Amino acid sequence: MTSEKPTMIEMRDVHKYYGDYHALRGINGTIRAGEFFSLLGPSGCGKTTLLRTIAGFEDISGGMIMIDGKNMAGVPANVRPTNMVFQSYAIFPHLTVAQNVGFGLRRDPRPKAEKQREVDEALEMVGLKGYGNRAAHALSGGQRQRVALARALILKPKVLLLDEPLSALDKKMREQMQMELIKLQRQVGITFILVTHDQEEALVMSDRIAVMFEGGIAQLADPETLYRRPNSRQVADFIGTMNFMPAKIVAETGDLVEVDSQGFGHVTLQGSQCMGTPGSNGSSIGFRPETLTILFENQQAVDRESMATVEEVVYYGDMTYYDVRIDGMTSPVRISMRNVFGRPVLDIGNRARVAWSPGALVLFR
Amino acid sequence: MKRSPILGAYAVAYLLFLYGPILILPLFAFNDSRIVAFPLSGFTTQWFGEMWADANLRKALGNSLIIALSTATISTALGIFAARSSVRYRWPGKAVVMGMIMVPLVLPEMIVAMALLVVLLTIGVPLSIFTIILGHVLICMPFAVAILTSAFQSLDKSLEEAALDLGETQISTFQLIVLPLVMPGILSAFLITFTISIDEFIIANFLGKGDPILSVYIFGQFRFPAKVPSMLALGTLLVLFSICMLAIAEYFRRRGIAKTGGKDSGGFL
Amino acid sequence: MAKTPSQEAKTGWLLISPPAIYAVLLLAAPLATVLIYSVMTGGRGVVGLPFTLQNFTDLVQKPVYLSVMQRSLLVSLLVTLTTVVLAYPIAYFVSFHVSPSKKALWLFLITIPFWTSYVIRVSLWRTILGYNGIVDSSLIGLGLTDEPVNILSNGITSMIITLAHAYAPFAVLPIFVSLEKVDRSLLEAGQDLGESRLMTFIRVTLPLSMPGVIAAVLIVFIPTVGDYVTPELIGGGKVPLIANMIETQMLKLQNRPVGSAIAVAAMLVVGIVSVVFVLLNRRFIGGSK
Repeated sequence: MTSEKPTMIEMRDVHKYYGDYHALRGINGTIRAGEFFSLLGPSGCGKTTLLRTIAGFEDISGGMIMIDGKNMAGVPANVRPTNMVFQSYAIFPHLTVAQNVGFGLRRDPRPKAEKQREVDEALEMVGLKGYGNRAAHALSGGQRQRVALARALILKPKVLLLDEPLSALDKKMREQMQMELIKLQRQVGITFILVTHDQEEALVMSDRIAVMFEGGIAQLADPETLYRRPNSRQVADFIGTMNFMPAKIVAETGDLVEVDSQGFGHVTLQGSQCMGTPGSNGSSIGFRPETLTILFENQQAVDRESMATVEEVVYYGDMTYYDVRIDGMTSPVRISMRNVFGRPVLDIGNRARVAWSPGALVLFR
Repeated sequence: MKRSPILGAYAVAYLLFLYGPILILPLFAFNDSRIVAFPLSGFTTQWFGEMWADANLRKALGNSLIIALSTATISTALGIFAARSSVRYRWPGKAVVMGMIMVPLVLPEMIVAMALLVVLLTIGVPLSIFTIILGHVLICMPFAVAILTSAFQSLDKSLEEAALDLGETQISTFQLIVLPLVMPGILSAFLITFTISIDEFIIANFLGKGDPILSVYIFGQFRFPAKVPSMLALGTLLVLFSICMLAIAEYFRRRGIAKTGGKDSGGFL
Repeated sequence: MAKTPSQEAKTGWLLISPPAIYAVLLLAAPLATVLIYSVMTGGRGVVGLPFTLQNFTDLVQKPVYLSVMQRSLLVSLLVTLTTVVLAYPIAYFVSFHVSPSKKALWLFLITIPFWTSYVIRVSLWRTILGYNGIVDSSLIGLGLTDEPVNILSNGITSMIITLAHAYAPFAVLPIFVSLEKVDRSLLEAGQDLGESRLMTFIRVTLPLSMPGVIAAVLIVFIPTVGDYVTPELIGGGKVPLIANMIETQMLKLQNRPVGSAIAVAAMLVVGIVSVVFVLLNRRFIGGSK
């Protein structure tokens, strides 16, 4: 998608210890110029620590971080080409909005009027035109966030770091700010690095995502790859919902893997569908709830078809979630169906025909 | 709220008990009789004049002000160091060191005074106003540390990081962000330590060389019944002064909390 | 600026060093000196070897010392008891019967007297309780008595009244804090389960507020053990307590080892009482969980 863009940040075997606690365990990866990059993971996975080592608030215990081709070892936060939007926004409560936004220009030798104009432009960019003289402590959560954005962007950093900037907002406000942040990033063209624990937020906003567990990057990929081809059960579980079924590898020939599994029987998978190292024992296949379809009365399956019994029905208005047991399976799987016009909602105990496709399966071994 | 007449009446009686002696101060300070007893005999301001006419009192007041200002300045400054260090930085041995600084809060003052006196006499430091200041700083510092610790705690660490991130150095960050935000706490610590020092008796009595000090002077004068009315006049003024200082300190403390957007979690103690 | 832990520790130590050095030189060193003096041999104006425990055995054996120590403890315990018992209802009132917006005001009202001159407050009780003083003249004026009562002539009673007044706010605050922490729904649960209001108080509120009561006991007991002003002004020097005896030994008799031994003994008493109450506190916290 964005492979032609040059590298902005390069991380090589980055380690961080807090005493005995190993917070970052050998981070490798590159972040490209101008991309919207997310660090996604549960709390305690090291995503915020990694962001803070990039910002320069934490030293690294081993490895190297390069920003725009320069090694950042020993470079303090105040001279790095990065700026941060803090989780708490860190708006200086004793200053006005304009003083907050213009804070980083204090050492700028340009005339005052010019700096003032820049502050006004920055405020306008984040939709706070005319708020300059307000007291900072009188702002709402969303306004504080905009001030924090304007304050960080006014210094034209090479990288903007965002530490869970939307977590303090309510759901509606959060969705609105997601859209605004995406637009803003395209407008200024600066590399954004977002830390979030919200997988939906990461999928919606990012060009690429690094999923982190226990101090390491589990998978670094674009949102679609992450969702459709998660490289481990852990990643698959963290992003969206996935059904897992035990499976047995029958044969591996070249790029093709033949698998026997409950309910689906004998299927042949492409190499790109198969995760983990070839030859390892104990495997399972996974598939997303929306890749299975409950067929209408006269509808024909595009690919394969199995019979199933409905065991649970959860009605969500636009969607219905079914737990169905496909004949031959020992446990039910979840299927999500859009409630299009004319489709009846099934009852518990009903028999149903379920369409599926081997191409939507992922093998974890 | 539940209403309970018995508890309510008790509360009023309790406040009367607390304030009784203090209310007696102005009552008899303006009473036209040298004998402090009921019934009141008439209004006069002569005791205030008599009080002020005493050269020793003016000298004691001067000395006390020097001691209190020095004590407040030094103990607040030391308190800033201690509170900043304990709130912002992790270092081994913190519990022991902070405990030692706070220990005068739970040690009978007489023991602090006597221990200090013995050492000063042994190593031959002559007693003076300076030695009183040394002792006062010791007992005032824990109060300053307590007030300033809560001021520094209500300061969000990311504010400092934001200033660093925006190009400021450690030192300019302290000047531009930390100092203005904890200033109310500093002022309130200064006022409280000043008030404690002005009122303190034991250290002023034992670590001084006999220079008149306000609290020691009052202690001595109350022994003479004839001097009691003018002491009541002085006490009236001192209590008024203390209450003003307290109200100002409380105002600054609350403004500090409001400024940093924190929640009020109690008073000085 | 980024810091490794050791760098952070260095900055922390650097900052703490001025107040820490001050406390070491002017508090820790003097207390250590007193500790050493207390086991040395001495007489009028001299301190010398050999090390001995004689000073301490004297304290327990000689009635001069023992009676003062006992009186001090008695006065402190009575003051503590009075203060805490009087303070509990007011703390309960402010916590449970005052609307939240007015609680701060009530606490402020209760603490103000504490910040006014201690010497003045104590001296006032002298004029209030003294012969033909305010109490006497009021009682005679009201026709309740003909003769002056002169409470002041009873040293211990007047000292207890004075000290109970002086330390009242100390006792209210910790009890109030612990009462504030009592989960109100527990009380409703208690009443919901059929307990009367009184039984709910005895079985729920009182045990839960015990940590505050214990803190109040300590916070009143410690300073009263070492009080100097009240025996001087109220007792007229005739009923000396520990602090006055320390003064006598240290300054008037110039016997520093004995004076130091008394000081150490006072600290020991304070220490033992504190430990006992802290242990009690643990039991209560453990029991309430």
